[in-house]
Amino acid sequence: MPIIFGSITPDLKIVMSALPDLLMAMLKFTIPLALISFAIGLVIAILTALIKFLKPSENIFIKVPWNCLKAFANFYVWLFRSTPLLVQLFLIFFGLPSLNIQIPAFIAAVIGFSLNLGAYASETIKSALLSVPQDQWDAAYTLGFSTRQILIKIILPQATRIVLPPLSNEFIGLVKDTSLASTITIMEMFQLSQQMTSTNYKPLLMYSLVALLYAFLCSLLSLLQKYLEKRSSKFLNGGNN
Amino acid sequence: MIEMNNIQKSYGKQKVLNDINVKFPKGETTVIIGPSGSGKSTLLRSIDLLVRPDSGIIKFPDLEVDYSNPISKQKRSNLINKTSMVFQNWNLFPHLNVIDNITIAPINVQKVKKDVAIKKAYDLLRKVDLESYANRYPSELSGGQQQRISICRALAVQPEYILLDEPTSALDPELESQVLKLLKELGEQKQSIIMITHNMDFAKSAADNILFIEDGKVQFQGKKDEFFNNPNERIKEFLNGISII
Repeated sequence: MPIIFGSITPDLKIVMSALPDLLMAMLKFTIPLALISFAIGLVIAILTALIKFLKPSENIFIKVPWNCLKAFANFYVWLFRSTPLLVQLFLIFFGLPSLNIQIPAFIAAVIGFSLNLGAYASETIKSALLSVPQDQWDAAYTLGFSTRQILIKIILPQATRIVLPPLSNEFIGLVKDTSLASTITIMEMFQLSQQMTSTNYKPLLMYSLVALLYAFLCSLLSLLQKYLEKRSSKFLNGGNN
Repeated sequence: MIEMNNIQKSYGKQKVLNDINVKFPKGETTVIIGPSGSGKSTLLRSIDLLVRPDSGIIKFPDLEVDYSNPISKQKRSNLINKTSMVFQNWNLFPHLNVIDNITIAPINVQKVKKDVAIKKAYDLLRKVDLESYANRYPSELSGGQQQRISICRALAVQPEYILLDEPTSALDPELESQVLKLLKELGEQKQSIIMITHNMDFAKSAADNILFIEDGKVQFQGKKDEFFNNPNERIKEFLNGISII
């Protein structure tokens, strides 16, 4: 430590004085941004995945609108996966005002993050739905279940176990991506650490500190992932897991 | 009695079912046999709408469905509720324990009260000698046990017929005989059974009727004794082909 940071005492002082503000920025911006965007993004992802996954009935009044929805879903996923997140944020926050659409920075960030996460996670969820064998559908159909019941009671519980690891990846990625919100004027953790650096001239110390804080948050999420994986896999080892 | 008339089904150019006309008497066990790829499974799955034939009619005394016309939701569920399928790989729901596997359909489809459904499920489990496994998950059971549970699951919705698609093909001989004994018992209790199997011993001892299908056509339909004691040339050939003696 002394080799990296020089004399430890003044550095420690800087850390101790920076930490409360950084933690505050984490609580006020980083965590809410990540949580709200993930929640909204997840809803978008589930709807998009279902639109792409389910086959419409032969009834033309269902089939035509459904296929329109499907085309829209495909376009949406294509759009947000083939452009950089940073560019998306800039377009929403700096670009839309030219069309007289003014969006506050925090809301612009939530829109950008949730649409981006929704596009990626929809593919994750779709693949989890597809991974439940057709046999499970057959077994449920023969017992008289409706498609909706089969989805909720048979397919989703099994798909949840499969979707957890990749979805956790995406959530953890989102937590770190919130640092991009600094570019659209949001005073989140990383932006604050940059500002502090410009007054105390300790870039290595400040950026290490903020990196640690991100790592701390993500470690908590990894623990949550482990717990949820255990819970959703109970049936594999007969509940002894 | 189930009556199926003029059933046709093609996958692309290949005719899988070619003008099938069959009857499955109530309260009896009908065994469907025939070479692989003959259309047995397709026919069986048609009864439960897991496969939709291109045309043809299926008739129950109180229900008639024309496969070539649109089938209303009500008709569809009436037809599905008349029968219940047991699969080669049993297809139990892996995330539910044994009791929930058996009761999930009665509770959610037939809207039976939970305690009634559970009581009924235990009766069924006693029948198959697996009462003590009620709270286990499928992954903890042997194949034969899982298949017996899946038969309970099929019976729990009180279908008129149970349909079995090679229920013992994935089991070793000891487990197979557990399942076959159970099916024989059910047959003796006048449960209507339609079953695809390659096990001729079961066909000889437990079947009432035999349906022999080849290339999507019915080659034989009638009583068991006639099939085994008085076979035509093609049946003789088939029976000799699958015998090692």
